[in-house]
Formats: sequence, structure tokens, C-alpha cells
Amino acid sequence: MADQANFERDALQYSRQLYSAAMRMARNPADAEDLVQETFLKAYRAYDTFEEGTNLKAWLYRILTNTYINKYRKESRRPSETDLGDVEDLYLYRRLGSEDTADVSRTTEDRVLDGLVESDIKAAVEELPENFRMPVLLADLEGFSYKEIAEILDIPIGTVMSRLHRGRKAMQKRLWEFASNRGLLPEDAERP
Amino acid sequence: MSHKCDCGDAQDQIYQYLDAELDEETAASVRSHLDDCGGCHDSFDFYRRLKGVVRSHLAEDMPDSLEDKVKELIRHESATSA
Repeated sequence: MADQANFERDALQYSRQLYSAAMRMARNPADAEDLVQETFLKAYRAYDTFEEGTNLKAWLYRILTNTYINKYRKESRRPSETDLGDVEDLYLYRRLGSEDTADVSRTTEDRVLDGLVESDIKAAVEELPENFRMPVLLADLEGFSYKEIAEILDIPIGTVMSRLHRGRKAMQKRLWEFASNRGLLPEDAERP
Repeated sequence: MSHKCDCGDAQDQIYQYLDAELDEETAASVRSHLDDCGGCHDSFDFYRRLKGVVRSHLAEDMPDSLEDKVKELIRHESATSA
């Protein structure tokens, strides 16, 4: 079992990463700061139950996620998964191709990848319903494995995979809209 | 892209491949398909780059004061619970 005296040394190295995730969950700096502080306080209080040598980063994310859900879920219900709509797997890539050849030019790819700004990406993730946003954040921002995400969110690994799959497709659809609004697409790119 | 190069199979596994979640054998067969199929190779490359863009844009600079606040909170908790 872990010693509370080592908590600062062991756990605080993850504060910057936790803050990024907290920002994408809470969507404003004041709530994100509260969330990080509450997470560390809860983690400190429970640190003697943490088994040393196991995954501390995942343990902290589990506390962060639960704190967020308990604190904010009551306040703002996000739309359910049925509102995600249904799009094909490689949506964004396919939409970038020309109608004639379905080939995507490197120029178009570069223009879209360079032209999407930070606020587009953040909005595309933050607009996802919570059930989908969490797995996407944990995989794409933090690089957690599916197994770790399943443990953090306390859901089966198959559910992680399907939510990640659908969440990323919805994100692609939103990114396509941003790219279109910014005039980054080739003129003959198909409308959604 | 033609059917004989199993584009459908490869594309079904694109994110699992990029997330390094495929077992070694399946990953090897996807890799060998990508070596042979320019279309799939290009789409995988696009998603690999997109993943990098998403990751870099989602990160946030933490205010320096926050770490101090957390330390203070923990020290206060430690002092009051001792």
C-alpha cells in the first residue's frame, strides 16, 4: 500500500495532463481547476488504499472522471448517443476525395490538417456526448490502452471500443464541417 | 483499391492498428497490406497524422499557480488529519 508521505512526489507529476483532460471535461478554466484540486485531495485521502506498483496515472484519471461525473452530470445532461447520427468509418478522408477518382491529394490533406485550428479540434471533442467524449479523450489525448480506459470508466472493453469508434466518427463529421466553413476543401468535395 | 488486397478488412481495423491494439499477427497482416496497397496506405497515413493533430490541440497549458494550490491543499489536509 502506498505511503501518503510520498503522494506529492509520486502523483503531482501528472497534474499538467490531468488539467488538460479536466479542461476538455469541464470546458472552462475555473471548473477545470476545481476539478483538479478535488481530484488530488480525494486521491491524497485515499492514497493508502492505492496499491503501489500498479498504474497510478490510471488511478488518478479514474478519480478525475468519477469526480467530474458526480459533480457535473446532475447539472448538465448531455444529449444521448442517439443524437450522434451515423456516418461511415473513414468519413473525413472519404469526403476529402474528388468525386471522380476518390483519390485524396496530399495538398488537400495538408490544407485540412494544417488549417483546422485548435478551437475546431477542441469544439469537436467537447461537443461529443459525455459517454463518447471520455473514451475519446482518454485514448486520443492521453494515449491510454483500451484496457486502461475500461478500468478508468468501469465499463467493458467492448463498450470502450464501440464508444471510441462512434465518438471518433462523430468527431470526423464535425471536423469536416469546420474544414468546409474555413474553405479548406476542394471545390468538388461532396457535401455531407 | 481492389478487393483482392482486403481493403475492407484493413480499414475496419484502422484505429485499432493506430492505437496499437491489434495482436501481433493481425498487425503484421495489416502492415503487409499497407505495403502493397497505396490507397489504404494513404488513408492510414492521413488518420495517423489526424491523431497527432488532435492530440497536440487538445493539450492545455496549466496555470503555474494550480500546482502550488494543490500542494497547499495537501499540506493543509495532512496537517489537519495528523
